[in-house]
Amino acid sequence: MKNVENRNRKFLGSFIDISSLGVIGILLVLITLLAIFVPGHNFIRPDNIKNLLSYGAEFAIIVLGAGLLMIAGEFDLSVGSVLAFCSFVFVKLFSLGINPFLVAIITLICGAVIGMINGLITTKGRILSFVATLGTMMFWRGITVMASGGAMMPSDTSEFKFFTSVFIGEIGKIFQSQVLWLILFAVILGFILHRHKFGNWVFSTGDNERAARSMAINTDRVKIICFVIVGLLVAFAAIIQTVRLAAFSSRSGTGLELEVVAAAVVGGTSLRGGKGNMLGIFIGAFIIVIIKNAFVLARLPYEWTYIAFALMIMFSVLLDLLIENSRKKVV
Amino acid sequence: MSSNESNPNTKELLKMTGIHKYFGKVHSLINVDFKIDEGENVGLVGDNGAGKSTLIKVISGYHRAEKGKIYFKGKEVKISSPKDSRALGIETVYQDQALAPDLSISRNIFMGREPVVALGFLKKKVMDEESMDALKNMGLYLKSPNITISTLSGGERQGVAIARALHFKAKLVILDEPTASLSVKEVREVLEFVNQLKRKGIAVIFITHNLHHIFSIADRIVVLSHGEKLADIKKKDTNVDDLSELIIRGTIG
Ligand SMILES: Nc1ncnc2c1ncn2[C@@H]1O[C@H](COP(=O)(O)OP(=O)(O)OP(=O)(O)O)[C@@H](O)[C@H]1O
Ligand SMILES: [Mg+2]
Repeated sequence: MKNVENRNRKFLGSFIDISSLGVIGILLVLITLLAIFVPGHNFIRPDNIKNLLSYGAEFAIIVLGAGLLMIAGEFDLSVGSVLAFCSFVFVKLFSLGINPFLVAIITLICGAVIGMINGLITTKGRILSFVATLGTMMFWRGITVMASGGAMMPSDTSEFKFFTSVFIGEIGKIFQSQVLWLILFAVILGFILHRHKFGNWVFSTGDNERAARSMAINTDRVKIICFVIVGLLVAFAAIIQTVRLAAFSSRSGTGLELEVVAAAVVGGTSLRGGKGNMLGIFIGAFIIVIIKNAFVLARLPYEWTYIAFALMIMFSVLLDLLIENSRKKVV
Repeated sequence: MSSNESNPNTKELLKMTGIHKYFGKVHSLINVDFKIDEGENVGLVGDNGAGKSTLIKVISGYHRAEKGKIYFKGKEVKISSPKDSRALGIETVYQDQALAPDLSISRNIFMGREPVVALGFLKKKVMDEESMDALKNMGLYLKSPNITISTLSGGERQGVAIARALHFKAKLVILDEPTASLSVKEVREVLEFVNQLKRKGIAVIFITHNLHHIFSIADRIVVLSHGEKLADIKKKDTNVDDLSELIIRGTIG
């Protein structure tokens, strides 16, 4: 059995972990079931798929970063608040008449700096990232609500045609440019995680931090860089979301932290760090998005999605434990 | 170059003098002198909390001593990080801390020292091939460099960690309780790995609570007690019973 596994691994390369095949299977089954059973074929209507992909891309871009960070052994619970804050920065600066590309760059820098602050508090302040980012989650939400007065703010970038099409341009009937951005980020992060030495440091740091440190890996720096990547991706998602909705809401991104962790875990990322892969994380994000979409189509109350996510996290963790235990018994 | 007085034929590799280490109010190392020659095998023993791990962590750059000097090949050196000690050719194998269990053998062997092409991308093939060579060199024949450490036995894991040290041309390998929690057969494997290091002329510091293990491989034995060096004896001048009595009593007198 081990031989088969090894051969498969060689064939697929370390790029695609064998375990992500199961996740792909779940996604396909889910899509098939929804395509067949959702009344009126609403699930596979082009406008629903377009919706799913445009929201899914924003969500998945954040999950890519959060998953990377989880592999390094840390969490970022502040992603939802930072999403709202970055949207606010974008909308505010845009309303001042600054060039939108410049506004986008400033927003990205904001995200990166916020990520770095999270990283510094966690590593240099020696505070569990779970706690540290719970703090920054409340902090940035508070700042955002205060600065915006809690009001919705319209923000129409459509007169800047090129700018708008870079972020949400239509490609055919269903695709929009944010999906291309997502794929670009996934491929880059996949190469970094699985083919670059930094990826090896990320895995080592999350799997056994003391070993990594005794092998002269600067684990604090590795974690800070991962936090910065999360911040950048959240800021990017904030930009496309704001451009897509042409508005800012101080409540955007509430509850996002749970969904992000659920997506990463469903995609095969270990809550204890050291394990995971980009393809799985990518698929996991879409499983969560599709389930959310299915609840909407089925007209189920929104709160039910949380119960579903909670069950999925527990199921994934249990499955992970089972696989782990059976592997130990084989030896 | 060598400042070794006692035996002009062997070269001194590492010497530490007057080492003090505090953890807050705890005085974990008290004026400790320690040395090891090239190719020598020193057993480091002592009761729980005697300061063994602390001493070797000072050598490997994990801790910094508040006082004392370290010489490597006769020259004074500052070891302030694991990077510094690695640059000198000192490799430390910590029990349960040496390897990342969910990563492959080759990713572990090259952890922190990955061979890369332009832009820092990994030379996967080189990593895999050299890992297998490094393992064979230790007499370890494993199926693939891509299996994860968690599927290996305890003895094999120590073998991988020691193979890694060897592959990077270590001059001094430090093993902190490499035989703890291993089966009898695995212990024999690990002791055989250590003997291989010795045959290759690599100096070894070996920490254990099992004096029989020490006696089967060490040239010299250093005893620590409550942070102080209690004894520094050639193996041929002592025996297991005397030594264990010494450790239990905790004083020479
Ligand atoms: N990081 C630390 N912080 C505080 N105190 C420490 C630390 N590391 C070691 N100590 C203390 O220093 C003393 C020596 O510990 P050390 O780990 O070196 O002992 P040891 O000889 O390796 O023991 P053992 O055989 O149990 O591994 C102990 O009193 C211990 O509590
Ligand atoms: Mg110890």
